[in-house]
Amino acid sequence: MLRRIPIGYRFLTPLAVVFAAVFAYPFVYSLWLSLTNYTITRRNETRFVGIDQYTGLLDNDTYRQALVNTFVFVLLAVSLELLLGLALALCLQRQRWARNVTRAFLLAPMFVTPIAVGLMFRFLLNQQIGVIPEILGTFGLEIDFFGPDLALFSMVAIDVWQWTPFMVLLLLAGLESLPKQPFEAARVDGASRWLTFRSVTLPLLKPVIVVAVLLRALDAFKVFEYVFAITRGGPGTATETIQYQVYRTGIGFFRLGEAAAMAFVLVAVVLTIVVVLFRRLMREAT
Amino acid sequence: MRRLLALSVALLALALAVAGCGGGDDDSGGTATGGTPSGTVRVIMEEVPDTDIVKSLLPEFQKEFPDVDVQVEALPYDQMRDRIVSSFLASDPTYDMIVVDNPWMYDFAKGDFLLPLDDRITAAQDFDHEDFAQPLRDIAEVDGATYGVPFYNYALGLIYRKDLYAQAGLTPPTTLAELKAAAAKLNTGGRAGIAMQPQKGYKIFEEWGNYLFGAGGAIQDADNAVVLDSPEARTALQEYIDIYKASAPKNSLNWAFDESLRAVAGDKAAQMISYNWMLPTLNKADGPAGKLAGKFALAEVPGGKSILGSWSWAIPKNSASPDAAWAFIAWVTSKQHEKERVIAGGAPVRASAMSDPEVWEQGFGEDYYTTVASILEDAAPLADGPNAEEMINVVGEDLNAAVAGQESVDDAISSAASGAQETLDK
Repeated sequence: MLRRIPIGYRFLTPLAVVFAAVFAYPFVYSLWLSLTNYTITRRNETRFVGIDQYTGLLDNDTYRQALVNTFVFVLLAVSLELLLGLALALCLQRQRWARNVTRAFLLAPMFVTPIAVGLMFRFLLNQQIGVIPEILGTFGLEIDFFGPDLALFSMVAIDVWQWTPFMVLLLLAGLESLPKQPFEAARVDGASRWLTFRSVTLPLLKPVIVVAVLLRALDAFKVFEYVFAITRGGPGTATETIQYQVYRTGIGFFRLGEAAAMAFVLVAVVLTIVVVLFRRLMREAT
Repeated sequence: MRRLLALSVALLALALAVAGCGGGDDDSGGTATGGTPSGTVRVIMEEVPDTDIVKSLLPEFQKEFPDVDVQVEALPYDQMRDRIVSSFLASDPTYDMIVVDNPWMYDFAKGDFLLPLDDRITAAQDFDHEDFAQPLRDIAEVDGATYGVPFYNYALGLIYRKDLYAQAGLTPPTTLAELKAAAAKLNTGGRAGIAMQPQKGYKIFEEWGNYLFGAGGAIQDADNAVVLDSPEARTALQEYIDIYKASAPKNSLNWAFDESLRAVAGDKAAQMISYNWMLPTLNKADGPAGKLAGKFALAEVPGGKSILGSWSWAIPKNSASPDAAWAFIAWVTSKQHEKERVIAGGAPVRASAMSDPEVWEQGFGEDYYTTVASILEDAAPLADGPNAEEMINVVGEDLNAAVAGQESVDDAISSAASGAQETLDK
């Protein structure tokens, strides 16, 4: 039977097996879970409930709040990271001396595990023992970083601190691989710096920007560690995010069926965004 | 393309079949038999001082039971339950013995994950099960069967600075009003009157529960129905918010127990409501409090009834060596080894250890042990019944929102009460 399959496809077999085992199986299994009432502590009562778990999410206020929080977080964090990352990349591109050292320093935050970053900022921003409130205090400033108004934005700031280097890395690589001729042409034509940036650099860099934003956004949707380490979703539901809620519902409260449904709704939303973005990119490229 | 699709479907089916084959062999080791137990006992524990103390007792156990090899894996609290639950579900368990936190006990027992221990307890020689504090035994008992043996308690108490209390002419508060006054009086520029733990979820409920009891309220009645929607609960929450606003460190809305401990140990707060076993830690010469060691004392929480937490030793149903695990549990919780454990700084669970003059002398003083004993006389856990962990989180969310000013006291209490009841009924 195997003989009849073209050789090219046969070479795909190892990948297909690995793919099926590590991706397809858990994916299909959790999809199945989301259609049942599976609860770890009541496995004997497991039964098929159709889309009940999904319709149940409609009147789950906390879940809706978590969706909103997650989107606000991703939107703000990724935009800020893009702006800062682009600015830094442009500066670094022009830097003459000590390039490697600067880059190594700037990239450092990326290599710290996010849970450690969360714990670090929990104490750095602590009003009583943290160094940041201490410094602000000398200027007569006092900020309640994890109070109801600012908590989500503090999370955004932490994410920006940690992941802007990632943007810098990608954008800098993109900038350095751009062809020289268009820039020389612009200079010959007497274009100002701003005009060159807007009409030459940005359009040429666009594919890199889209990929960087996409990678970063997909990762930001997974925000969990900062919430887990610092606020546990509080004050109230101010920093409740989807991933944290999925974790609490599935692992904390044992309701794997409901947690799977929560995760699939997010997957559906994120996939839609990715597909729409890619389509637009493809259309513009052709 | 179609062939590729067919191929992937076939492979997927294969993968499913292979993965499904895992759960065959279910016959766990033999039942309690006579003779000397032997085997390896893998145990999961929390990274806390009490675990280190148990580890230090292991060589002694090994001498008595050379054929039993106890391997301790200590993890931070947040990782423990995930690991335990996966081990329950695995055909080849990761752990042969576990420690169970009180909110998990009911669900674990009802989920049929734990071995009932009644027969083993009755058969054990000189075990004297009645010697364990009553509220701790109650936690380990689900529907008339016993699934755990108390390991250590974390009932809450008021930990305060004796020197500051003396300077201000104060005595430990016995009512919420007195606590409020004491906190306000001790609140000076650099030092907060009281460090609190209003973090959303477990932490705030664990602390506020003491206020609730202090105001004369209750969480559940004798039939486990939620009775949180009461005037007492509203008073308690209002007092909590007032004290937080007037005397707790500024901007400490996300504080948990770690921050409070640091504040008190670093002379940045005069007192806190926390686990009773923090006292030996703070008073230890080489402990976190440094030069302040010895200046702390433990009192009952205002009102005298406190929130109780407790860890129990238990054996999973799928344990590979239940007999060896029981041998260790019986050994480490015996009167003699309880005494050694407590002298080394472990949190006591047996009345005999708490009233033993030898323990007083070699441990942390008569005051401490008699206070712990009286705390344990009247203490109750946050939740009793199914979905306890979730119920605690539901209530803890509303409480935290009220302190943050996002919900009124009235709304928070009624929402917490209805949420808690719904969760228990799920």
